[in-house]
Amino acid sequence: MKSKTLQITLVYVIISLIVAIICHKILTTYFSKIEYFYLFVIKDVLFILITGLIFRYILSKNEKKNISIFEKLKKTNEEIKESNEKYDIVAKATSDTIWDWKIQEDSINWNKGIESVFGYNPADVGNTSKWWFDKIHPEDSIRMSIKLYSFIEQKTEKWQDQYRFRCVDGSYKYVLDRGFLLKDENGRAIRMIGAIQDITKQKEEEQRLKLLETVITQSKDSILITEANSTDRKIPKIVYVNPAFSQMSGYLSHEIIGKSPNIFKGPKSDSEELKKLLRAIKNKEECLIETISYTKKKEEYWVRFSMIPIFNNEGSISHWISIQRDITDEKKLETEKEHLIRELTQNNKDLKQFSYITSHNLRAPLSNLIGLLNLIEDIPVEDPELQEILAGFTKSTHLLNETINDLVKVIIIKDNPSMQKEEVSLKEVFENVFSQLSFQIELHKPIIKLNFEKVPLLNTNKAYIESILLNLLTNSLKYKSENRKLKISITAEQIDHKAILTFKDNGIGIDLDRNRDKVFGLYQRFHNYPDSKGLGLYLVKSQVETMGGTITIESEVNKGTTFTITFKN
Amino acid sequence: MLEQILCIDDDPITLMLCKKVISKSSFSKEIITAQNGEEALMHFNTLKYTNIKNKVNKKPELIFLDLNMPVMGGWEFLDHFTSPAYAEFNTANVIVLSSTIDPEDLAKAKKYPIIIDFLSKPVTLPMLEYLKKKIGI
Repeated sequence: MKSKTLQITLVYVIISLIVAIICHKILTTYFSKIEYFYLFVIKDVLFILITGLIFRYILSKNEKKNISIFEKLKKTNEEIKESNEKYDIVAKATSDTIWDWKIQEDSINWNKGIESVFGYNPADVGNTSKWWFDKIHPEDSIRMSIKLYSFIEQKTEKWQDQYRFRCVDGSYKYVLDRGFLLKDENGRAIRMIGAIQDITKQKEEEQRLKLLETVITQSKDSILITEANSTDRKIPKIVYVNPAFSQMSGYLSHEIIGKSPNIFKGPKSDSEELKKLLRAIKNKEECLIETISYTKKKEEYWVRFSMIPIFNNEGSISHWISIQRDITDEKKLETEKEHLIRELTQNNKDLKQFSYITSHNLRAPLSNLIGLLNLIEDIPVEDPELQEILAGFTKSTHLLNETINDLVKVIIIKDNPSMQKEEVSLKEVFENVFSQLSFQIELHKPIIKLNFEKVPLLNTNKAYIESILLNLLTNSLKYKSENRKLKISITAEQIDHKAILTFKDNGIGIDLDRNRDKVFGLYQRFHNYPDSKGLGLYLVKSQVETMGGTITIESEVNKGTTFTITFKN
Repeated sequence: MLEQILCIDDDPITLMLCKKVISKSSFSKEIITAQNGEEALMHFNTLKYTNIKNKVNKKPELIFLDLNMPVMGGWEFLDHFTSPAYAEFNTANVIVLSSTIDPEDLAKAKKYPIIIDFLSKPVTLPMLEYLKKKIGI
């Protein structure tokens, strides 16, 4: 710049000098007087030089001024540029949605957040505040607008609000909206600029935490949180208790925080259990104990007390959580139950003994009667009336004996829940049963089908299974139909771990509609047969059940009867 | 035929029956009775005492024993009888003859080697025939 000033000055000086020289030449040509010739030349040169100097000075001063203005402009320009860049970066980086509302004209501009956060296509975004207000959840909109207008009217200092803003898909997002006002020289609000932050996640998390918190605050179980470590070999100090805890122990939160749960200990507390708990705390293991605790008023209660260690990210314990339940009632019930079981067991034992004694005392004189009758048999009796009387006497005595022997069997079955089981061959069992009934079988010649191939061996009590099959077979023979040949089919099947024995006949059947409940009852008879006592099926059921099996019956009058016996095998 | 047997039972009719049936079956020449364990032990004591002076006394070869008796029951009798004090007599076999149905009694009987059988009353001729075979007379 400086060189240019000099240049301009030099050009001016040279041109002026050339002009001066040319003028001088012309003058010297046309005028002959040359006495002042040199004087004029010198005057001109001096004049030119002086004006050149002045010219240069003015120019260079102007120049300096220009430079400083230019520098200033340049700086301002750069600042603006930088600021714009910064804004662009922030606007890109922020997840907030920014709005700019010209209040007087009611025109509102949104940045791209309205699309990226809420999904609105920029073309669909309205440019009035109404559009904005329409998107606010109806439950929040009145509260929000009251707050907003009181800020615009400058009744309040700051404005920020939380509300739900509807997205394009109709769902709502929780937002935090913060804004500031621009005012004109009269202090009137003309513009408002705000930023909407999507806080749905925080809000949801907050609500989730609130919900989780209710578990602690509303729980009926006492919950307390203690420090990680304890000094002086006690349970670590309490840092939090829930309301249920205060309810249970009588200690209010502020009374108990900072103390060790050891204060619940009392004379009847189980010190072994407490030692167990302290050991677990030392080993950083969770632990469950039951002990008697004491309330603030020193009332005792049973408590089930657990301590669970809470580990932080570094794997060291940050806290212990303890859950406690008042189990006083439970304990009381348990004691009552134990007492009841003891009493019942004793009663049952007494009753059993009673039945043995009774049956012994009945059997003793009865056996004498039978013995005496046996003796009479060998003595000839002449009197026919006495003979008749003695016959009746003998019959009644033997009937009484049979009844008592049957009852004795029942008592023994009922008293023998864990009898000996062995692998029994069903085929052998049937051979035994048939040989016992050979007389009747010969007499009636029934058609008997047997199929035991699938279950050749049954793990059971031999005497019982024999008795069961003997009773069922006797029944079939006894209650056969007079109109058709007796058919009996007995099959055994194995399904999973069960053996199923099906015993089917075509006899006279039992009317189950009337008698289903009584079929397996003691002394229940369904046919008026002289030698029926109503004991067989009762014994069968007792024996089946004693061996852990079940028995069911299907029967139709004059069609036949089917028994299904299921054993574990 | 046995020389002598002892029936211990508190019921006089049972004893009467025993005597009659046994004499009919020619099971034993002589039947002596006792009404309970203590009376039976007294009998053995007397035998022991008199044996010292006179060694011709018979001793029972078989004992029919009831279990439920007043003063001293069957089990208590056996506990005394199998002790060394009665060593010269307890070579005799014992048959429990009872009306009991208590399975515990049956189980208990198996623990006494002296008991050779556990039978249900009343004594009958077939029962004696069975016993004859069992003890080989």
